[in-house]
Amino acid sequence: MAATLVSRKTDWTGIIFAAVLTLVIVFPLVVVGTWAFTNVWRYPSVIPQEFGLRFWNQTLARADVWSSISTSLTLAFTVTALSAAICLPAAYAFARLDFPGRNLLFFSFLAGHAFPKFGLLVAIAGIFLQLNLIGTFWGVVLIQLVGTLLFMIWIPVAAFQAVDRRMEEAARDVGASPFRVFWSITLPQAGPTIAAAILLSFVGTFYETEGAWLIGAPQVRTLPVLMISFINNQPVIQYGAVLSVLLWVPSFIALLFARKVVNSGSFARGFGG
Amino acid sequence: MSVLKIKDVSKIFPNGTTAVDSFSLDVADGELVCLLGPSGSGKSTLLRMVGGFETPTSGLMTIDGEDITRVPPEKRPTGMVFQSHALWTHMNVFKNLAFGLKLRKVPADEIKRRVEGVLELVGLGGYGTRSVTQLSGGQQQRVALARSLVLEPKILLLDEPFASLDQHLRERLREEVRDIQQRLKITTLFVTHGQDEALSMADRIVVMRDGKTEQIDRPDVVYREPQTPFVAGFIGTMNLIEGVVANGVFSKAGYSTPVPVSDGPVTLAIRPEAVDLTAASQNAHGKVHRVTDYGTHGLVDLELLDGTRMKAMVPHPDLFKPGQGVTLALRAVAAYRDGAVIYRTGVVTPVSHPALVDA
Amino acid sequence: MTIANTGPLAPVATHRRRPYGLLLVATPVLLVAWLVIWPIISAVIQTAFVTTADGGSAVSLETYSFFFSDGYSLSNLSMTLWTTGVCAALLLVVCLPIALYLRFSDSKVAAYVQGLAIFPMFVPSIILSFAFIRVLGPNGTVDLLLNSVGLPHIRSPYLTPWGPVIGLVWDNIPLTVLILLSGLGNVSNQSVEAARDVGAGKFALLWHIILPRISNSILVAISFAVLGIFSAFTLPYILGPAAPEMMGPFMQRTFRELLESKTAITQAVVTFGFCIVFGLFYVRSVAKNRAA
Ligand SMILES: Nc1ncnc2c1ncn2[C@@H]1O[C@H](COP(=O)(O)OP(=O)(O)OP(=O)(O)O)[C@@H](O)[C@H]1O
Ligand SMILES: [Mg+2]
Repeated sequence: MAATLVSRKTDWTGIIFAAVLTLVIVFPLVVVGTWAFTNVWRYPSVIPQEFGLRFWNQTLARADVWSSISTSLTLAFTVTALSAAICLPAAYAFARLDFPGRNLLFFSFLAGHAFPKFGLLVAIAGIFLQLNLIGTFWGVVLIQLVGTLLFMIWIPVAAFQAVDRRMEEAARDVGASPFRVFWSITLPQAGPTIAAAILLSFVGTFYETEGAWLIGAPQVRTLPVLMISFINNQPVIQYGAVLSVLLWVPSFIALLFARKVVNSGSFARGFGG
Repeated sequence: MSVLKIKDVSKIFPNGTTAVDSFSLDVADGELVCLLGPSGSGKSTLLRMVGGFETPTSGLMTIDGEDITRVPPEKRPTGMVFQSHALWTHMNVFKNLAFGLKLRKVPADEIKRRVEGVLELVGLGGYGTRSVTQLSGGQQQRVALARSLVLEPKILLLDEPFASLDQHLRERLREEVRDIQQRLKITTLFVTHGQDEALSMADRIVVMRDGKTEQIDRPDVVYREPQTPFVAGFIGTMNLIEGVVANGVFSKAGYSTPVPVSDGPVTLAIRPEAVDLTAASQNAHGKVHRVTDYGTHGLVDLELLDGTRMKAMVPHPDLFKPGQGVTLALRAVAAYRDGAVIYRTGVVTPVSHPALVDA
Repeated sequence: MTIANTGPLAPVATHRRRPYGLLLVATPVLLVAWLVIWPIISAVIQTAFVTTADGGSAVSLETYSFFFSDGYSLSNLSMTLWTTGVCAALLLVVCLPIALYLRFSDSKVAAYVQGLAIFPMFVPSIILSFAFIRVLGPNGTVDLLLNSVGLPHIRSPYLTPWGPVIGLVWDNIPLTVLILLSGLGNVSNQSVEAARDVGAGKFALLWHIILPRISNSILVAISFAVLGIFSAFTLPYILGPAAPEMMGPFMQRTFRELLESKTAITQAVVTFGFCIVFGLFYVRSVAKNRAA
């Protein structure tokens, strides 16, 4: 039925797209993966001379790697927890309560996305400069927190609005206070979607590079920031490759859980498509 | 032992809609009152005000003499069953029922005893561990009922609880609900826009229109002696014929019948079962348009000379053919003028047959 | 997760207007006010006024006139404009066919193609940069392969203006495809079939039926890409040439290395100025979309 433009027999168009995209998108990552498990790969051999885990041991023995892993995790956890703590109640309020200026405030979260991001970061850094937040952990937390607001409010608002009001009323009816209703009914019902939002915001924070680099570096060194310095200054290619593989783990988890969500057209509509 | 009193309650929504307009009703202890009315007549709004989900703009509501007008829903001794059952899908059947008891700090073993008792009562013994999403529509509605009953509310509120079920299930469940309600002697307010539901269950029926009461009476009285043309037209099948009375005779398109009221326009209301139809080739009052055979009886749609449609119930439908001329005799009529009944002949025994009542 | 599915804020049934709703949203709203709105306003104010000798302040566009007369700043700006333009054009050329294919195909391959097109969303740009260098950089995999069949080395795009272009296009494929695809969702099969019925060929179909319907989505996709690319930092910083550089690395260097925060903020305001149309259009589209 839907095959109006592409014939159903042999999908040559599709096969060509698939081949080209595989080459362009998957191949570079496979190369990185190969480098990570290579002990020796000297020019001009097409395949590595020796595979092995030697550089995993070496990379994981580096203190700067461990400290930036822990910095990144601490940051991501802190930002996500803070973001959840301030955004979820706000999302609930937007979804369920009426108050003056509700719509305007709701759309105000778009403001951060109406400007070129790095320009905005520089403007924020200008403010941080006066507050001595440059080069501090909390400076980075703040800047990454701002980055999570839109998602952490808009997605949960949708989730809360999808919860059947009658379910909540039924809970009031059997004697639950408004807070109890939220805790026992609304939150569990909206749970899966909110979990997806939290996961996305965790992953987003984990990879956030520009804010961390501008505000935090070199004092606050997250994994992506360390990765930049590896790329710039580290002659041993495998360090970067191993770090890339390590760095990709949260993405992989997000890929497993959030793929359906991203593919469901509503996600794109959230970007205005 | 609970009495619900609603006095002059109005609800005007912020958008200006007047959903309920100075509505008053007393529901006696153990009584089941049905709120019946067309869509948008304010039934749900009224019920939700009793449940505490909407605040009346004005008026007073009491349960056993206690003012509950401003009491939040969780503090009211009312139990509500929603149309969409509103079961908590993240809890199993047992937990749905136990939630309210837990909030009341009832000891665990008593919770178990009471939940199982109520599940037994609604015919779902042993279903406690089922997930509510694995139940059929009828079973879900029973769980919703059980969830309210387990808390032994003083007032049970049901908002079109069977609207989403099929005809058979609806009939069975309404008997069960009626049964349980009478056994527990629980004061009940029941919203429906199915008149068969109201007629078969209620102790009294409140017919609502535009947020106001049209009539409050026992079902048989509402059926037989509708106080307004609106009620007459809304309950059961009714022929409503506009005409003029002159010198005590009502006439319409060549048909006339004595109606002893003062001169002027009237609306005549005649049940199909009060129309005697005779096949006639001459001096016919109208002609048969369609005949429907229900097996036990038939229903003839006929057209008066000016095209006015009427329905008549006939014992032998095979005597009538479309296009055939007929004469009518009316055994019982009511006449309305300015929205009030001004004349009524003797009463016709109501025949409640789905075909008539559902139409 | 239906960010947009919910429509705008559906009217709330409760009619109490109690301020505690405001209380709950206060923290994030204040954060936005403090860390988004205020920095922008303050950036404009800060760069448009100078402190005069007697302690007062006066309007002065000095920093801007410096920016627009400084050759290096201007070449950075023009390089940014060039990169943004080329990227936007390439993105359309690449993504529109993919989106069209995905919309009108229901073969198994389509699912795979869609998966691939979305995949870069799950690859952080820092890993992408590294992969780029390993594949297209000097002595990268492409060189290896060319060498093995006896062909000469490529001229590596690494550290040339084409480096950021390739990286940014790669990075922006997923959202562009998704936005276009969502726009194509509004083109019904019937309207396409009806057009073919009256004899429209594939090109006429595309030009007269499909493109007009998705023009808004195309603009949104472009706006979104432009906003991301214009001040991109990571990819141009790692893959791009040292001079001239794109605005992102330029601002970063001015701020962190030259410690000239006012100059950096001026540069930021310039990027705002160049993107304001796209930003407003983007916000308007998202808002309208949710309100629909
Ligand atoms: N939250 C609300 N805000 C504004 N108007 C409302 C609201 N709820 C109901 N109304 C309006 O109040 C009137 C009565 O609605 P109500 O739901 O009580 O009708 P009902 O008799 O239950 O109808 P139905 O049989 O369709 O359920 C309708 O006109 C409705 O549009
Ligand atoms: Mg209703």
